[in-house]
Amino acid sequence: MKLLRQAMTGFLLMGVLGSVPPALAADDLFLNGDAKCTACHDEGDGPDLLLMGKTKHGTNADKRTPTCTNCHGSSETHLKGAGKGDTSPLPDITYGRKGKTSPDARNGACLSCHQKDAKRMLWMGSQHQARDVSCSSCHQVHSGKDKVRDKRTQPDVCYTCHKEQRAQANRPSHHPVPEGKMGCSDCHNVHGSAGPKLMKRDSVVDTCYTCHMEKRGPFVHNHEPVNDDCTICHNPHGTTAESMLKVRPPFLCQQCHTPHVPSQALLYGQAPTPNNIGWNGASVTQGRACLNCHTQIHGSNNPSATNPTPQFLFR
Amino acid sequence: MNQPNFTFVQKILALSLLAAFAPVHASDEVDALVKPDSSISVGVAAVGGDNRSLVGQYSGLRSGGSHLLLDIDYIKRDDESGTWKILQGRDLGLDNRELNASYIKQGDWKLSAEFNEITRHDPRTINTGMLNPGTTTPGVTSLAAPGKGYDLNLDLQRKGITLSTEKWFTPNLQFEASFKNEDKDGARLSGRGIACGAFAALRNTCGAAAGTLLPNTNTAMLMLPEPTNTSTKQFEAKLNYSGEKLMVSGGYYGSFFTNSNGSLSPTINGNLWNSNGSLFAAPDATLKGFLQQPMALPPDNQAHQFSLTGSYAYTPTTRANFKLAYTHATQDRDYTASGLAGAPAGLANLGGEVNSTLAQLGLSAKPMAKLSLLANLRYEDKEDKTPLAMYNLTGLATIPANFYTNTQFSSKKVTGKVEANYQLPNEFRAVIGIDYQSVKRDRPVNTTVIDGLSALREDTRELGYRAELRHTFSETLNGGMSLVSAKREGSNWLSVLPGAGFPSVSDAAIYNRYGAFPMTLEDRNRDKLKASANWSPIEAVSLQFMLEDGKDTYTAPTEKGLRDTGMRSYGVDAAWKLSDAWKLTGYWTQGRQMLHIDHSTGYLAELENLNTAVGLGVVGKYSAKLDVGADLSYLNDNNRYQQSMSNGAALFGGGLPDVKYRLTSLKLFGKYALEKDADIRIDLVHQRAKLDEWTWGYNGIPFVYSDNSSVTLQPNQNVTYLGASYIYKLK
Repeated sequence: MKLLRQAMTGFLLMGVLGSVPPALAADDLFLNGDAKCTACHDEGDGPDLLLMGKTKHGTNADKRTPTCTNCHGSSETHLKGAGKGDTSPLPDITYGRKGKTSPDARNGACLSCHQKDAKRMLWMGSQHQARDVSCSSCHQVHSGKDKVRDKRTQPDVCYTCHKEQRAQANRPSHHPVPEGKMGCSDCHNVHGSAGPKLMKRDSVVDTCYTCHMEKRGPFVHNHEPVNDDCTICHNPHGTTAESMLKVRPPFLCQQCHTPHVPSQALLYGQAPTPNNIGWNGASVTQGRACLNCHTQIHGSNNPSATNPTPQFLFR
Repeated sequence: MNQPNFTFVQKILALSLLAAFAPVHASDEVDALVKPDSSISVGVAAVGGDNRSLVGQYSGLRSGGSHLLLDIDYIKRDDESGTWKILQGRDLGLDNRELNASYIKQGDWKLSAEFNEITRHDPRTINTGMLNPGTTTPGVTSLAAPGKGYDLNLDLQRKGITLSTEKWFTPNLQFEASFKNEDKDGARLSGRGIACGAFAALRNTCGAAAGTLLPNTNTAMLMLPEPTNTSTKQFEAKLNYSGEKLMVSGGYYGSFFTNSNGSLSPTINGNLWNSNGSLFAAPDATLKGFLQQPMALPPDNQAHQFSLTGSYAYTPTTRANFKLAYTHATQDRDYTASGLAGAPAGLANLGGEVNSTLAQLGLSAKPMAKLSLLANLRYEDKEDKTPLAMYNLTGLATIPANFYTNTQFSSKKVTGKVEANYQLPNEFRAVIGIDYQSVKRDRPVNTTVIDGLSALREDTRELGYRAELRHTFSETLNGGMSLVSAKREGSNWLSVLPGAGFPSVSDAAIYNRYGAFPMTLEDRNRDKLKASANWSPIEAVSLQFMLEDGKDTYTAPTEKGLRDTGMRSYGVDAAWKLSDAWKLTGYWTQGRQMLHIDHSTGYLAELENLNTAVGLGVVGKYSAKLDVGADLSYLNDNNRYQQSMSNGAALFGGGLPDVKYRLTSLKLFGKYALEKDADIRIDLVHQRAKLDEWTWGYNGIPFVYSDNSSVTLQPNQNVTYLGASYIYKLK
């Protein structure tokens, strides 16, 4: 009988221990050292909390990964008040709307590990840091799929604050953001960069050149704004004018250039303009407008010094 | 054996079995929550509608009909070693597919490869008689009348492969490298045109029209698709160190552009149409000759950048960061090999060289618990060392033979800001800041000519002030307001008369008071107001309000050009958590942008953009097995082109009509759990778009090129998409 009991007890222990992933201590549920929290917040109490186990945070073999208290603090008062329902004190560091934790403290918990990533070296002093944006304002750490890390859903997270861009992205001339083929982070490093507007590279033009390198030149005949800032002419978030131009030519061009068509901007069919191509207001308004002739607007590498010369970006 | 003993054995056995198997069930439940998900989604989509060119720009659905839907998520983690094997595919059945494979030992190394492709289908359709469109030798063939040719749709396809790797040598030392190659093929809508006598070069050289300006025969415009067959390569390698206080990353970034096409040389078969609606007469062969001259396509270019980025923590709350970068960019595409003749004697290529230096230093500190300080200084020096040669030709004979050199664009830019953020009593927080930017541009060399501008400026500097106040009114209401005021000024303007050496002139002496001056160089006053508030009237409801208003005023010693711009937008976002299973969201945003530009001798333009965006969404769990969602969005974008004539005359035709774009979109989805490991998902999207524009035609009269090619876009597009996918969760 004694032998039977020992066998049964052994079987019992084997059953208990056998259900625990080998990398974890016996009482941990999914993170090293999580027992302190998962004793209450287990799969029954808060299944969504455990979804973090699907992510890089849940890779216990990587000794850098955190346990609950690395991010939420030791939370002794919370532990002592466990089981008191809504009257229970909150953990030391919380990330939800109810929490009183400052953005610096919230971010500190994340940056203690993630600032080692070169992409976040310039977080301190960046626009988002200076405006008290928390990591948790954008990231869902306890979710198996963080919306902001998927370019199909990322823009919706950014639009929470950047509402103007939400409307612009739905205009007919746009980057493939609404189609889920580009995300905001394809151009912006929201964790801090050396460029303006948190551009991914050191300037607007350098960022645009990563996909539009044909515009870089230098050319025999340059158009200076092309090398200065693409957003002088383009709104990359979307426009109703073609080619994401901020304003439809000829009006766009006339912000810098003296027009050389002595006429109002008008359309074929509006008297007295004839209905065919000619030297008139319609030829610089319709079609590609000024670009009907100044077609090499980003620069021309044509070396010809014969008339008509390419310096006017004709050819 | 008596009953109690038997009961005890039974209990022990039961407990043992429970211990052995019940935890397995619990473990299954936990595993489902903590193990990475893998799935494969296979389905079919049907797309219908009268025209899909707007929705089909990038979506891969332009062609309509049925499409294969195929997504893969294979994500496996070996918990013992922390090794990940990932294979993810998106839209594999469409022409915008993506496939990514990664092999990662977390915290140690990473290998990944990614393939992606996307095709941009130009939403507009061209009707033309052109031969060989999209090649470097298109044949322009006039149509008897607009619309009598064939329909041509232009596509640009990008295909990219990215290889990347990471290695942690120690917990503090990491190496990263990546290589990306992207090929771009296809054609995009472009063209060429010329109006003899309209350009400032040697005038009126169009055959019989020499010395006169005859609008009927001196002008021609061609639609020419730009052939694209290019390759972009980017290689980046970085070594990153992260110590207790010092973090630094040093690396190399090389970017290389190559173009298989050097030039575009159209041939004009037969005659072209003139503005009187008749074919050009024979003397216009000179004009045709001009139009057949080769056009330069984007040349190969390359850049090499070395950089050092980092930060140093003096104390836990005081940190400096920096970036130093040097970039050497060149462009030496051979002219002759590109099919481009007529270069100045002895020059085979431009020999373009631009060297850029960037230095940036930032400092953030918290000297007191309630005070944060921030300072940033950035210096950029762009040195254009491209050799000068007599490429330019103008009609003003100051330099011998009317030849002038190309122009170097070198500049030095300094940007700085200082900001203080202080926590005031009673839950107020104040932020004040100063922003500064100066740009010093090199004065053009005496031998060059600046075309198309009325004046230049060497220096501009802008000083701005910011003030922001935030307040937490209660646990459920907080908000803030900020004001920005900035002023940009600059040095004296430079005269751009050729051959005069670009002298600095006083405003009173500026030679052209009716010219438009470059808006980026004009004096500018900027004022901006921004306010926002977050309110949760009840636990389940959150509201976010925003308001933004701004105005820029431009001044220069001219009466024309850009005068002022303005913007105003406001809106509200709302979220209502109806229950644990249902959530409602909504937004409404209204925007207005204004732009006032005066034509030098003609009209005064008041442009205005009015837009309204509205959205309503609901997601919920109808039952344990059924998730559903709906999303309704509406966008109304109205562009007004109000004009008046500076001489008080009436506008021809009453001026330009508005350009309007309206988009209404309804998206519905349902996801039903067929069984534990399988779902079915249905998506239904209906989109109604209306683009009312005059760009390519107005009032039934098309804009036609000189060969009668025309461009159209179906203004009303109603598209319905129905997709059904079977999602199998892999174990």
